[in-house]
Amino acid sequence: MPAVKEFVTTQKPTWCPGCGNFGMWEALKRALSQLGWEKHEFVAFWGIGCHGNGADFLDVQGFHALHGRALPPATAVALTRPDLKVIVQMGDGDGYGLGMGHFVHTLRRNVNLTCLAHNNQIYGLTTGQASPTTEHLAKTVSTPSGVLEQPVNPIGLALAEGATFVARGFAGDIPHLTELYKRALTHEGFALVDVFQPCVTWNKVNTFQWFRERVYKLEDESWDTSDRSAAFDLSLSTFHDLTCTPEECRVPIGIYYEKTGEPTYEQGLEATKVPGWHRAMNPRDVEHIIRSLT
Amino acid sequence: MRREVPEGATEVRIRIGGPAGFGIKAAGQSLARVFARSGFETFDLTEYPSLIKGGHNTYHLRVSDTPIYSHVLDTDVLVALDEPTVGLHLDELTEGGAIVFDPKAFDAAQVDGVDADHHCLVPVPLDDIVYEVGGVKIMRNVAALGAVLGYIGFPLEPLADSIRQQFAHKAPEIAEQNIAAATKGYEFSREHDCAFPHNLQPLSDRPARMLVDGNEAFGIGALAAGVGLYCAYPMTPASSLLHFMAKHGEREGVVVKHTEDELAAMNMVVGGAFAGTRSMCATSGGGFSLMVEAFGFAGVSESACVVGLFTRPGPATGLPTWTEQSDLRFALHAAQGEFPRVVLAPGDHDDAFHLTWQAFNLADQLQTPVILLGDSYLSDNRRTTAPFDTSAVTVERGKLVAEGDIADHPEALAEDGRYLRYKITDDGLSVRALPGVKGAQQIVNSYEHDEVGWGAPGEDAPTRVAQNDKRMRKLELARTLVPPPARFGPESADLSILLFGTTKMPVLQALDWLAEDGVTINVMQVVTVWPFPAEEVSTFLDAAGTTAIIEGNHTGQLQGLVREQCLRDVDHTLHRYDGRPFSPEQVTEWVKEVLA
Ligand SMILES: Cc1ncc(C[n+]2csc(CCOP(=O)(O)OP(=O)(O)O)c2C)c(N)n1
Ligand code: SF4
Repeated sequence: MPAVKEFVTTQKPTWCPGCGNFGMWEALKRALSQLGWEKHEFVAFWGIGCHGNGADFLDVQGFHALHGRALPPATAVALTRPDLKVIVQMGDGDGYGLGMGHFVHTLRRNVNLTCLAHNNQIYGLTTGQASPTTEHLAKTVSTPSGVLEQPVNPIGLALAEGATFVARGFAGDIPHLTELYKRALTHEGFALVDVFQPCVTWNKVNTFQWFRERVYKLEDESWDTSDRSAAFDLSLSTFHDLTCTPEECRVPIGIYYEKTGEPTYEQGLEATKVPGWHRAMNPRDVEHIIRSLT
Repeated sequence: MRREVPEGATEVRIRIGGPAGFGIKAAGQSLARVFARSGFETFDLTEYPSLIKGGHNTYHLRVSDTPIYSHVLDTDVLVALDEPTVGLHLDELTEGGAIVFDPKAFDAAQVDGVDADHHCLVPVPLDDIVYEVGGVKIMRNVAALGAVLGYIGFPLEPLADSIRQQFAHKAPEIAEQNIAAATKGYEFSREHDCAFPHNLQPLSDRPARMLVDGNEAFGIGALAAGVGLYCAYPMTPASSLLHFMAKHGEREGVVVKHTEDELAAMNMVVGGAFAGTRSMCATSGGGFSLMVEAFGFAGVSESACVVGLFTRPGPATGLPTWTEQSDLRFALHAAQGEFPRVVLAPGDHDDAFHLTWQAFNLADQLQTPVILLGDSYLSDNRRTTAPFDTSAVTVERGKLVAEGDIADHPEALAEDGRYLRYKITDDGLSVRALPGVKGAQQIVNSYEHDEVGWGAPGEDAPTRVAQNDKRMRKLELARTLVPPPARFGPESADLSILLFGTTKMPVLQALDWLAEDGVTINVMQVVTVWPFPAEEVSTFLDAAGTTAIIEGNHTGQLQGLVREQCLRDVDHTLHRYDGRPFSPEQVTEWVKEVLA
């Protein structure tokens, strides 16, 4: 069972001091260690963005994908390597912007993987443009008069497309996030944890302080995680405007919805049951197909 | 230009034409099957000239008792399921050629240009026949097929057998109903008083041939190679390869995914390569445009994968159902930055099979993406060929560690024992340890990276140069592994022709025809278009008298490569970019012209 520190590489994190990515990194290391996952038992994927720079810092068997496109290659591993567990880390610009199509389609397949969204409601790496989850009317360098779109609702989307595990975390509460990760990582099927991950450099609105004053834990209020419609309603209520007071807008964290026993995509196909490289140990016999054409 | 069938040979060209949705292709293909199983060589060309008069489909079948290499333009028997078909194809009818038609639908004698002295009119009441046997409208095709066989005097039994086989999974009445329709059509057309010049009888002395289209050939090649993941988004002419893989995938152990778009397909393929699964996708130019970023990712991350790029005329949506050879430069240059790639261009169905399994080996041996560059002419059209020689197939996975502990592979480790996915080596190849191998921590990275795969240290200038040089060294290695150009025809000839891809088929046909006319050509087919075989091409052209390039594009993309890589030019060029493949008639005529 690897200790937390064994998941650290010799590369020094390049995130800004105080960045929410540190909390997510720490929670993931703890979850992996507590679950006892050996490094050759799982693979980790990252998209491109500040979150993706974490690929250098976590000592795993990993894949740093293109911007917005961590889910398709992760799906390929899930479908052709039944012996490996799959973790995807993506940014909000990355996964809900460029990668939105992949996000929705991967969800509806219920592929067995865990998707951790680093949702800082801004483009961090490219210096502070609005992201798909930036709040309505927020002013950024690319939206000086304010964002005119409504933000993407990842929780609602995931529920609408049949995700079987939907949760929200906060990078400022590492013990809680660790527990959420452990639940998500052991869930059979597609598990989404959308994590509020404050960007201390570019997002001056949704700060640690802002969230600390507003988050509450669903489990503290005996939330029924089997009620999909209630979870959907709740996802609509978690949007907030820039001027709301802590009393007016509370932000729930925890498991919104969970359903076990749903068939995964992999379970529907025999071909997924053997590691893909076993198929190419020797030439495949195709004589019967050739014969059928003569 | 007409081409006389040589003395002693028997050849019949049949065209079936009619409105879209009449099952014309399926009908034509069952006719092809009948002839192929009876020992004949066949080559078909399905055309959907949807821009000419309201969605006409046609299927052209060439049947011969001697080896053939391509389609031809002539038609001896025209089955006109509607009136416009007659007018559209009259000019290709040979002297004495027959028109099979339903007199209740229209009178072929009244069609402009039809001349009873030169054409044989074969009225067959297709609708009535279908009515009499109690069948459905689509059975007109079967009655027409019977009529074709009756007209040329070929026995009906092979068609009846084929129908029985085709409908084996349905109620026996359905097969019998179809056979009854075919029989009636057959009887109607036997009584004609035209002189049909050829007597076709089943040939019993011929070895078994397979009837295969290009996409099936690619698919069988990929299966033979041990493909484990095939991802695609439908796009003509690559779609039928998706269908083929989907049909066979579950039984053969291939995960086949129709993805949300081509971006997903190519990115999945790179992920599949990471997993160690032999992974492939295929599309046409539009889909490949969407794949381009991920294609470059495969290059920088040294991911072994195979991409089929089956050209249709572009740009953009282009001419979906037609053919062209205009994506050569696209295949060579797709994606930003520089990285090694291999581009193989099959010239025919047998090439498609063999180059596909070789593509998987090259991808693994070089840890880089390999493109199979085809086109609609190859993908769509079915021909007889010798059953693929599977004894040639090998699986070479290169420097791959698929299981165990990386500590047992000291050559892959740094001094401190850390696994180096991108270790700098003389030949540019590093040991590729799959996830799941103990101790093989790594980052397969879309960023430039260091030997471990870490991105940040990859920005260090010497590291960047070392990694870039390492990757490009693999291109030198590729030169020693890739299939060489193929040579056809005599050592010296009146005209030496350089070509790539499917132009091989009509040019080889023209080579035979020209030889009969006393004109010699020889041909070099550039099989591996990248890395470009500059030395072999130069040697070929230097030894030649008069030289030419024939390619299906506007700008002379192969010619440009010859200028750039061989620092020379050729004497003549022939281009075509109207969506149609070169025909052997066109090539023959052109060769005679340039030599005149
Ligand atoms: C195809 C492509 N377009 C644009 C970029 C530039 N780019 C890199 S990261 C990024 C946005 C990052 O935002 P987000 O996903 O929210 O991640 P964060 O940096 O906030 O973690 C962009 C636009 C790219 N790498 N690739
Ligand atoms: S820019 Fe924002 S998200 Fe990126 S490292 Fe700095 S604080 Fe973190």
